[in-house]
Amino acid sequence: MGFFVFLPLVLPLTSLPIARLAEHHLHPRNAVRLLSWIGVTMAVCSTLALGLLFVVGTAQIPGNPLPDSWSDPEIRTAVPFHEAVGTTAVVGLVTVLTACSRSLRRHLRIRARAQRALAPMSPSPAPQGPDLVVLPDPEPYAYAVPGGPGRVVVSTAMMDSLDADEQRALLAHERSHLANRHHRYLLAAQLASCVNPFLRPLQKAVGYATERWADEEAAGSVGDRRLTARAVARAALVTRGGGPAPSFAAFAAPGPVPRRVTALLSPALGEAWPPPASPAGLAAMVAAAGTAVSAVSALNAAVALLLLVKAATPW
Amino acid sequence: MELAGVDPGRDEGGRPRRRGQGELATEVLSVLHRAPGPVTASWVQEQVGGDLAYTTVMTILSRLLAKQAVVRSRAGRAYVWSAAADAAGLTARRMRRLLDTEPDRDAVLASFVTALTPEDEQLLRSLLNAAEPSPGGGSRGDGR
Repeated sequence: MGFFVFLPLVLPLTSLPIARLAEHHLHPRNAVRLLSWIGVTMAVCSTLALGLLFVVGTAQIPGNPLPDSWSDPEIRTAVPFHEAVGTTAVVGLVTVLTACSRSLRRHLRIRARAQRALAPMSPSPAPQGPDLVVLPDPEPYAYAVPGGPGRVVVSTAMMDSLDADEQRALLAHERSHLANRHHRYLLAAQLASCVNPFLRPLQKAVGYATERWADEEAAGSVGDRRLTARAVARAALVTRGGGPAPSFAAFAAPGPVPRRVTALLSPALGEAWPPPASPAGLAAMVAAAGTAVSAVSALNAAVALLLLVKAATPW
Repeated sequence: MELAGVDPGRDEGGRPRRRGQGELATEVLSVLHRAPGPVTASWVQEQVGGDLAYTTVMTILSRLLAKQAVVRSRAGRAYVWSAAADAAGLTARRMRRLLDTEPDRDAVLASFVTALTPEDEQLLRSLLNAAEPSPGGGSRGDGR
């Protein structure tokens, strides 16, 4: 097993360059798919590695419920610095599993609450489509609520602050979220970032890229990038004040909304992958290599531990 | 029942009288408006007046449903009904409660936009100026 078991824990660092470069160099659809796959694979490998170290770690705990042979000295010495590492892994795995389950429960709870809230609203006869729910509310908001039939919820205040064309862009944006099942990518990226903190930038990049993806589809559907940019900007300007408090990082770089508007005002990015020699191409290959090495290392460590446990088990 | 005194479905003698189809629909709607929340058809039947058959209430409710004047949802094995205008208000209140109590909802419910910092707002206003349709109709070269 040796040092291989530690690799999946640190290799998510190889995803940082692509998480940073994806925004400007990949088509948002490609970015969402690539980053989600990298994130999920690395998260699974990282959890597996943590699980293996956990087995070693529990060997120190007197009266642990795992089979006695698993705490055999041979297994413990298979990992360098097994005492410190083992204890850390026990704490780490428990923390990770708690964070994941909390995250998942919150996701399901919010979805269920939103669906329950919308249940009494029958499909509307509005000309904009049966999936649209317009709610009388002085607070401007617009959300895509995933579910059996996905619904687009827009408050009257939001509708009133946009003209008819901009409303079409907003609806196309939210419908793109539903049609492309963006909430699944968001959940996957969120769980991955719970598993390994190094995957947090990846989660942010996936979140931003899904918005860009929906923006691009909306622009295609209304046939006007500038109109879509205007809809996003107008909606954001009436929304200000709500939502989470901005972080200090905002001093340096513009937030997601101005970046989205800028992207919509610029020519569309092609769907082609960047050439391998470009920075984005290199970053993608580094991340892919990192993912592959992390999968191989996790498997290698798992097989090694399995063989050790088998050898140490008396039957 | 406390509403009996003002019940338009009875004449002065408290004796039930025949009512037209449109009148009944209006009455059912007003009962739903007075209702404390979504109610069952038998509750409506009780409120409207004793002489009305359950099937008649159901027919009226179905017609109102087709006209989108009322909405129904499932509560256990039965349907509960409410007036459509109330449903939108109720849904709006529930949605607001959800948005107010779940600060992390943005990862689940994809929001159209997120909050802006003052710097973002400044930047966005200048971008918006650039995005406004130019008055001359001449398209601006996208040279950035």
